[in-house]
Amino acid sequence: MTTVIMRTTARVIVPIVLVVAISLFFEGHNLPGGGFIGGVLTVTAFAIVYMAFGLDFLERGVLGRDVDPGKERSRDRVVLAYRRLFAYGFAIAVASGLAPLLFGEPFLTQTFVILEGIPIYDHLEVASALAFDFGVYCVVVGGLLTILSVVGAE
Amino acid sequence: MSPDLAMVIAAVALPFVVAALTPVVFRVLGEGTGFVGTVVALTSFGLLATQYGEEGAVGIEWVPALDIALRFYVDGWALLFAMLACGIGALIFTYSPAYMHGESGLVRYYAALLAFMGSIVGVALAADLVAIFLFWELTSLASFVLIGYYTADDSSQYAARMAMFITVGGGLFLLVGLLLLSLVASDILGPGAAFNLAAMLESPETMQSALRERGLFLPVLGLLAIGAGTKSAQVPLHFWLPNAMAAPTPVSAFLHSATMVKVGVYFIGRVRPMLVSAEWLFLFATLGLTTMTVCAIMAVASTDIKELLAYSTASHLGLMIAGFGFTSVYGAETGVFHLLNHALFKAALFLVAGIVAHEAGTREIDELGGLRHDLPVTAAITTVVALSMAGIPPFNGFYSKELLFEAAVEASHHHDIGLLGWLYPAVAVFGSIFTVLYSLRFLSLFFGDRPDALGHVHRPPVTLLIPPTVLALLAAVVSVDPQLAVDAIVQSGLEATAVDPHEMHTGIPTSYSPALGMSAVTIGVGLVAYPAYGRLHDGIRSVPRAVPPIGANWWYDTVVDGLSDEGRAFAETVHNGMLRTYATWTLAATCALALTGFVAAGAIAPTELGLEVSMAIALVLLVAVIGGVAVVTSESHIAGVLTLSILGFMVAIFYILASAPDLALTQLVVETLVLVIFLLVIEEIPEHYEIEVGKIARDAVLSVAVGATAFVTVLVTTGARPDGSSEIARAYAEQAVPQGGGTNIVNVTLVDFRGFDTLGELAVVALAAISILTLIVMRGRDEGDALTDTPADDELPGGELTDNGPAGTRRDGGGSAGGDDE
Repeated sequence: MTTVIMRTTARVIVPIVLVVAISLFFEGHNLPGGGFIGGVLTVTAFAIVYMAFGLDFLERGVLGRDVDPGKERSRDRVVLAYRRLFAYGFAIAVASGLAPLLFGEPFLTQTFVILEGIPIYDHLEVASALAFDFGVYCVVVGGLLTILSVVGAE
Repeated sequence: MSPDLAMVIAAVALPFVVAALTPVVFRVLGEGTGFVGTVVALTSFGLLATQYGEEGAVGIEWVPALDIALRFYVDGWALLFAMLACGIGALIFTYSPAYMHGESGLVRYYAALLAFMGSIVGVALAADLVAIFLFWELTSLASFVLIGYYTADDSSQYAARMAMFITVGGGLFLLVGLLLLSLVASDILGPGAAFNLAAMLESPETMQSALRERGLFLPVLGLLAIGAGTKSAQVPLHFWLPNAMAAPTPVSAFLHSATMVKVGVYFIGRVRPMLVSAEWLFLFATLGLTTMTVCAIMAVASTDIKELLAYSTASHLGLMIAGFGFTSVYGAETGVFHLLNHALFKAALFLVAGIVAHEAGTREIDELGGLRHDLPVTAAITTVVALSMAGIPPFNGFYSKELLFEAAVEASHHHDIGLLGWLYPAVAVFGSIFTVLYSLRFLSLFFGDRPDALGHVHRPPVTLLIPPTVLALLAAVVSVDPQLAVDAIVQSGLEATAVDPHEMHTGIPTSYSPALGMSAVTIGVGLVAYPAYGRLHDGIRSVPRAVPPIGANWWYDTVVDGLSDEGRAFAETVHNGMLRTYATWTLAATCALALTGFVAAGAIAPTELGLEVSMAIALVLLVAVIGGVAVVTSESHIAGVLTLSILGFMVAIFYILASAPDLALTQLVVETLVLVIFLLVIEEIPEHYEIEVGKIARDAVLSVAVGATAFVTVLVTTGARPDGSSEIARAYAEQAVPQGGGTNIVNVTLVDFRGFDTLGELAVVALAAISILTLIVMRGRDEGDALTDTPADDELPGGELTDNGPAGTRRDGGGSAGGDDE
């Protein structure tokens, strides 16, 4: 799979996929999209990188670290980062649910404010659900990437 | 006067709290942790003692929606049992440090012992059916840990599993019985009283007649009897108790003489006023007397001092059950008074057995004798408690046994039971003769000649001696002045368990009565037969050896071995390590269950299929069908995967056409991800398979079945769809912008309205990632490491399963990774 065509295509499409993923995540509240869809699409971008460049590419080619051939895959620093990502994502989701308790509202109550007069945007809506959705995004990305890289290394 | 809720809850909760802190305490105090246990037990005892004389129910809300409360009921009977557990618990904790000196795993030991004590106190006080069941099963769990204390020991594992299997199994019968009871109670006493045992006991006659009207009286009686009988080791499920002697001796003294096994008796006493009747008499008197006799005979056949005591315990439990079985007031007196007496003498006897085993180094009866020279204090203690167990006047066991005889004679006066009116007293006497025999045999360990083979016997440390001394002194006090014990606690216990309680009087009989004659016969025959003990012992032992099926243990072994062989064979067929086999079984089972479910629910009805689809949708579906056919006929795997994704993308387009853009987007990205992952792993798969025709046929049948199930499911589920948009759908659509501030209803539903569901799904994704990580990391580690890391793994039956595990899990792990992404 690591052919020149594949690599060249990957170089072009991965950034586009990532940007689309992030925009899907942010637009989720008003247009089709959201944390789960954005997360899965982000994972797809990583999967394409893995397919085109191999599993160690992120560690070796992007972060410039040496990889011991005999090392257990699950101990890789990249995998550790994924694991942290889903742990933090879960923590964010739970914390965003707990926050309303401080204001005497039930668990997971959400609200939103509309900010007026912002430069460029003029009119911006900030929903507290975005924090929860970000947690969803992190868990999906972290969890799936952990699975993908650990199982893919087998 | 109503009891103080805080005091009661503190008494129940304290042992659990300290149990949780045991690791910390042990780090500071080491083996002295036992004395902390003593303090805890005494504190709980003191808290309960402040409630002495109170009566009533108190509670806090637990699950208000279901009317379940953490409700406690305090009366004489509950206090007697709870204080017994705490008092003897304190002695056991004092005894433990010296006895368990130098053992490993003491943290687990003390934590389990504390939790155990807390659950016993909980059972004693709980007045909510759910709470009772909870504490009831907690005692089984704690005892499982304690009986299996020597985790490396096969017999210990066997005994722990057996005790768990029998008592937890019996607990399930109890659960069904309790649920039936709660159904009737919620009908009669109102929904608030569904689980409220205290309320049910306030109107016992109403409950009984309501149960009879619904034809539930006998089922409830039977189910509760099975639950209590398994816990209290009644024939034919008595065999777990002698096996449980694999536990350390303090545990045996606590669990298997003083408390846990009495939970069944306690519960029978508790519900007695509600269920007492002719059937009750027949069931429990027969059950109890049979157990009493059979286990007394088995005790005579024992060769090990703990085995002897264990069978004797089962026999005395039979006595108490029989006592409660007799419907006269003497029956209740027997049950309550003997519960107290038995705890005093039997716990002391177990502790004595512990001292003998610890200091003489053997538990074989034949190797012991003449120990009074080496262990004078122990000998004095044993004299009191063994004679009490034998029921020799004026020791305390005599009084309660006398009451049993009276109740047995009285039974024929109250009910027309024909021949049983003679049989009950006769069996009671017959069983008691064996009680005299084995009690004397136990006492003879300290008298007679000292065998030459017996080596030097150490003097026991003082902390080993104090607990049995205290118990023997208490037994002596009750012996000298039984009326004192009656006034202090037995009378109030009697009032809770008897239907027609009256002022109870007991003492040395001064005039002739049938019961006195029966006692005289029992003791006389026992003394006369004692010289022939050896021949009796050999005679009884030879019976099960000649006819194995006569022993209940044989049945247990046969059934359990049979079941585990079948289970293993089944597991090997279903879980043979091939992903294909797993998929076959899972899919086939799902289809079978789903289709059976539809047929059973009558959901499958002739449906008219409408064909009103638009041109675009028809086209998309056509392409999908062609894609599906192309997958099957494709030559290479890559072509197969690519055509498969055509199918997926067509489904996505179908969603778009059906105006579900969110669903379509999800389908698109997931489809893409799955495609990429397939491409990632596809290089590992061989180019071609050689597949047998039989397997092709099987796969074809399976795929048709799966397709049919999916088709029928879609038809059935969409057929049940409400017409138009439902109220909740309209509410979501209307509230999305004002409440959630988003115009995408799907997303607003996911994160605003139904955030809790989404959180649950996040937990699933996180769990999947963690479990795959664990599976793969664990496999990488040394097998031996993994075993020592988790003590629970010691319980695995053998190496065979452990070896198979990783091979299966490896493929499983890969499989479920793919599954999660879809």
